[in-house]
Amino acid sequence: MFASAHPRPTLSAELIAKVRPIALATTKTLPLGEPWRGMVSSGALRRGTTTVVDAAPGQGGLSLALGLVGAASMKGHWVGVVGVDDPGVVAMTDLGVDLRRVLFVPRPRGAWAESTADLLDGVDLVIVRPPSIPAHGAVRKLMDRVRERGAVLIALSEPRSPWPLPADLSFKIAHSEWRASSRLEGRQVTIVLGGRGSAHNSTEHVVMLPSALGKGEK
Amino acid sequence: MERLLAVWVEEIATESPEGGTVRMNIALNEALTLLCPFTEIIRLGLFVLPVRGPSRFFGGEEAVLHAVLQCVFDITSRRARVGIAEGLFCAELAAKAELVIAPGESEAFRRTQPLEALGRKDLAATGHRLGIHSVGAFADIAPARIAERFNRHAFVLHRVARGELSELPGQRDTSLTRRITRLNDSGESVREQLGFFGQRGAGEIRAEEAAKRVRHRLGPESIQVANVAAGRTPQDRTAMVPWGSPAAIRDSGAPWPGQVGHPSPVTALRHPITVQLRDEFDQPIRVGERGLLSAAPAYIMFTPPQRRSITWHAGPWPLVERWWQQSRRRAQMQILLDGGEAMLLANENQAWWLTGIYD
Repeated sequence: MFASAHPRPTLSAELIAKVRPIALATTKTLPLGEPWRGMVSSGALRRGTTTVVDAAPGQGGLSLALGLVGAASMKGHWVGVVGVDDPGVVAMTDLGVDLRRVLFVPRPRGAWAESTADLLDGVDLVIVRPPSIPAHGAVRKLMDRVRERGAVLIALSEPRSPWPLPADLSFKIAHSEWRASSRLEGRQVTIVLGGRGSAHNSTEHVVMLPSALGKGEK
Repeated sequence: MERLLAVWVEEIATESPEGGTVRMNIALNEALTLLCPFTEIIRLGLFVLPVRGPSRFFGGEEAVLHAVLQCVFDITSRRARVGIAEGLFCAELAAKAELVIAPGESEAFRRTQPLEALGRKDLAATGHRLGIHSVGAFADIAPARIAERFNRHAFVLHRVARGELSELPGQRDTSLTRRITRLNDSGESVREQLGFFGQRGAGEIRAEEAAKRVRHRLGPESIQVANVAAGRTPQDRTAMVPWGSPAAIRDSGAPWPGQVGHPSPVTALRHPITVQLRDEFDQPIRVGERGLLSAAPAYIMFTPPQRRSITWHAGPWPLVERWWQQSRRRAQMQILLDGGEAMLLANENQAWWLTGIYD
């Protein structure tokens, strides 16, 4: 499981660190798991793109963002999470995130954009929840960085801190309602999909997020 | 009783003179912890994990058994015996017999065990003289009669036989956790290099460089990893630790989200926030002796003063008590607010805490 018969690479750490993800990537996309795969026309997250998850606090935005990175994380890709205080690691595991390859910057204070940029250099996917209203200029620079690095940025947009630029892909949680009996069982969310020049503009999907198993589910 | 998967690896159950047994146990414990963060080492060679969560995750108990067997083989090159039953006592027996006991059948399984399964020869000898050969027959003796026929050890064993206790006294090696902590402390540098980043690939080296840059920018505590490998309690095992630091074992003393089950809160407050619960007449909500609420909660109050209506609640559920914290009485409750947000609360000594948010 952990042991390896392969010798370690002889390249120096500095050199490897400078190698860009796009050069290492065998494909130009990162996998999406269920139920997300079926919603997006390519069935995957394209490298170099930004996805916005738009939801009011407590409506499932964070679960959705984590769900989107789950499959890629399971496949061995590294994930950065910026601005999410006190992540619930059990829930993250349920959503498919492999915690061994996640770097958290829980409280970036004023430097959320800078630390996101730092992480974009080294990991394949970054989830960012700006702690303050994201400035137009900083966001533009970040999205350029994403394109240049061939990473995937998933930005959480809340009414208090809306993402100021149109994204390649956007998931808006239009409605969210918990199913409960003797305990919380799952949350039914209605997602409106959009994005720049995409075929799936304004298509609507209803998913359980999380389902009774903690996962996302159609 | 909690449904447990027990793993018994006989070859690493006794310490060999050349050492290494404890380290092998630690390595296996860490590997199993990656499969299920709530894995516990009971004593050398014996591990248990609550099977409910992992079986949902892996897609059935069968799949978890396979994953566990593979994991043990990868780490120790030994074949483990595994079994599933309710409660530690039954789970260990199930593992040694390599059985999966169907849910609800653990009591029947326990009753058919020979009296020796309770682990005391004197008790078994006395029992056989009296014509009592099985755990079930022993359980059927009225508690008042126990003292007449058996010695003082029999009381506790009788409770185990009746299913009132889930584990035998001495089934756990309580000193083992201390030894493991001590060993881990001495091997800290190894942990940093290999523990988290295991086998080092290019992706990992790049991630590490990025982490260094963030740390340089924001300070040593700024970049963190979820520490799923070290620690004693499930909560410790899932603690966030600064990236690159030795895995610290911490206890803030505050209640934590625990065993409410899926779904789990996606925000788990490391420092739970104190809140107040009120009924519709604005009276504080208390948890009574028998774990019942004094009234239905209608409002939750946060500091700074903010008051929200509660539209639904479930619980309180007493927190599953674990052996190291038996002195703590805690309960958890789920609530829904008028805006549709779901939260997890904890109660300890009549104080309410917000411990999780289901965002």
